[in-house]
Amino acid sequence: MNTAGKTYETTFIINASLDDAQVDAVIARVQNIISKNGGVIAAVNKWGRKRLAYSISKKTNGFYVLIEFEGAGTILEQLERSYHLDEMILRHLTIRLDAKALAAKATAPAVPPPAESPQPVPTREPLFNEKGKSEEP
Amino acid sequence: MKNTRRTRRERESRVLRKKRTCRFCDAKEVYIDYKDEKRLQRLVSEQGKIIPKRITGTCSKHQRQLVLAIKRARHLALLPFVSDTIR
Repeated sequence: MNTAGKTYETTFIINASLDDAQVDAVIARVQNIISKNGGVIAAVNKWGRKRLAYSISKKTNGFYVLIEFEGAGTILEQLERSYHLDEMILRHLTIRLDAKALAAKATAPAVPPPAESPQPVPTREPLFNEKGKSEEP
Repeated sequence: MKNTRRTRRERESRVLRKKRTCRFCDAKEVYIDYKDEKRLQRLVSEQGKIIPKRITGTCSKHQRQLVLAIKRARHLALLPFVSDTIR
């Protein structure tokens, strides 16, 4: 086991009603936090927009992003904090990849993420009380 | 008339044989990934409940990994906590 850091994997769901530029901005912000705290980003995997299995804060779709990085455990504090502060992030999960997981990844590399992005996300007419909210700011 | 009924032992051995193998051991899996949603979907019931290992035949070691993977997938809304297909 190397002393430099452990491998972590963090997945988060961004509000899918943002446009691509805004989504990229959110991802860049997360990446920035990781690298600023001494983490090394190994992979960024955008799964794209997917339907959620259940609604999270009244949203049925989300943009999934998976970031794999190496670093010390102190990054996680900062990362979790920023997740909580960011209102565009609906959900997040950070786990440490143990030896088994890494071994599994090495034997079967690059399992493509569940690709469901080709199907267009159904857009819904804004309700009377959210006029202007879903418009571009 | 020929008796086609199976004896009790035969019936039990059939049942036993059917549930003996763990699909993860057969596939030599070392790690069950929470992202593999298609796979996990087959191991939960229609209501979204985790199917017990006595039904699926999964070994204890893999069932524990599986449960963790399913719970992680649920947190990320990849799998439902409760499926609304049944009302």
